Amino acid sequence: MGCKAVNYELVAGFETHIELATKTKIFCGCTTQFGGEPNTHCCPVCIGLPGTLPKLNRQAVRYAIMAGLATHGEIAEISKMDRKNYCYPDLSKAYQISQLYAPLSIGGYVELSNGRKIRLHHIHIEEDAGKLIHQHGDTYVDYNRGGVPLIEIVSEPDIRSIDEAREYVEKLQQVMRYIGISDCKMQEGSMRCDVNISVRPVGSEKLGTRTEIKNMNSINNIAKAMEYEFERQVDLIESGGQVVQETLRYDDATNTTSSMRSKEDAHDYRYFRDPDLVTINVSKEEVEEIKSTLPELPTEKCNRYVEELSLPEKDAQLLTKYRNISEYFDKACVGVKSPKTVANFIIGQIFSRVETEADKEVFAVAVSPEQLNELVKLLDSGKIRNNLAKSTLEKMLDSGKGALEFLDESDMGGLDENTLNELCRQAVESNPKAVEDYKNGKEKAIKAIVGNVMKNSRGKADAALAESKIKELIG
Amino acid sequence: MTCPVLFERLVSMVTREDVENIALLSKLFVPEEELDGLTKSMQEIIDFADTINNAPSADDSFDNINNLSNVFREDEVIPSYSNEEILSNAPEQAEDHFLVRNRE
Repeated sequence: MGCKAVNYELVAGFETHIELATKTKIFCGCTTQFGGEPNTHCCPVCIGLPGTLPKLNRQAVRYAIMAGLATHGEIAEISKMDRKNYCYPDLSKAYQISQLYAPLSIGGYVELSNGRKIRLHHIHIEEDAGKLIHQHGDTYVDYNRGGVPLIEIVSEPDIRSIDEAREYVEKLQQVMRYIGISDCKMQEGSMRCDVNISVRPVGSEKLGTRTEIKNMNSINNIAKAMEYEFERQVDLIESGGQVVQETLRYDDATNTTSSMRSKEDAHDYRYFRDPDLVTINVSKEEVEEIKSTLPELPTEKCNRYVEELSLPEKDAQLLTKYRNISEYFDKACVGVKSPKTVANFIIGQIFSRVETEADKEVFAVAVSPEQLNELVKLLDSGKIRNNLAKSTLEKMLDSGKGALEFLDESDMGGLDENTLNELCRQAVESNPKAVEDYKNGKEKAIKAIVGNVMKNSRGKADAALAESKIKELIG
Repeated sequence: MTCPVLFERLVSMVTREDVENIALLSKLFVPEEELDGLTKSMQEIIDFADTINNAPSADDSFDNINNLSNVFREDEVIPSYSNEEILSNAPEQAEDHFLVRNRE
């Protein structure tokens, strides 16, 4: 883009749908389980037969309040359900029960690592639609997913780059998983994003005409689609054209966007209050009670690790990525002198055995955090040395047994000074070549001699102390 | 005598264009010759709703006849219907699905 007269800025806002982890649907007792034979998780309410009456799932409301609180939103004391009317086979009633005029959570924000806050407009609850399969020109409808509770998180157009977009989605995913209200699996559709995107000359305050890319189901596709759409809009403006407000579909096979519908035939949803559902009142006491059940959130946790435990930012991020890892770390840290040592064991040896992101999220490790805690305390007290701790941890990870299974009295007795002196003397004598190299200025040669001491002491010697003694001996 | 705003008669006018637009949104085909009749019927329905809207009520926050709020169910699974029962009223079905034919 170097040749262009004007530099353009990307402006994006997100509408994120997240399926709530309730056992039952939002307005009936049918299961929300993913999959299942078509049209077997259904009843007259969720297929919208006339004369049925929806009844709101208390847990769905609670989860949505948790989502609002975890994103710093204000919970509305009074909220109401509305009907969003549109005629399409994924909705059997020809309307979706949603919230427009009085949503459950208002405002809030998601803070990014660069310090910018992406403001949220609101969060509302609604029902999911059924699944359509288009085949031979006809449409097959499965209503198993119809009526699964969703929250829609609507952001302000505060996102300014694809990196910010990526982080925003990851942060939402992380927070919602921490508070346990959704598994947020984009590939299974329990988290989906609509991206509103426009461009404007850098420095301009006025928003450009936006397009909306519907139903993005992976973070990589979001990034690719936004990149494509940004270039497309800039090229259009540069060549004297105008961006048309329209809804787009992204095709990841061709990495292009194409029009689904334009503004002229945009939906007129004719929202109105759903007369079948009564007002939701949430008292201040209820909000406080729900707030008190929320776990420490990842951003706060990460900051605490850096500020209070003096962990490097990078370590803190790795440890707080999933709730299970951070809870493991917290337990393993109880009463230890150096949390950094615990972090090193987890990020190094333990992570090397938990390879995939899915496994990291579960974090079922053979060694319990209490067992790791015990090992680190042995190290803290000087009873064992780092090398021995490392090799012991390997054995613990192989067997699931505690440190004391592999360490006997002699391992933990430390090394008296005479024995260390003797081992150093022997090491110098048996490594004439290394001694010669060191004397000739090859600093690193001393490591071989220290290594010999470590080996003969079975890892019990203090390597730094041994090195200074060896230097004394060589002269 | 001045009336409070609440008791003022509000009037909503239904036009032919409204009926055409609603038919379009509802994916209904309405023959030209039926439009005037339907506009009149729709006006009557709206008038009826206006009558209710304009009925005096003592309380601005009036929400429903029983003054209910927070009607919830617990998150407990109730067995769903069988696939056969669910599809029993479907105009068309195939392979355990509701079938919607493409008319174009």
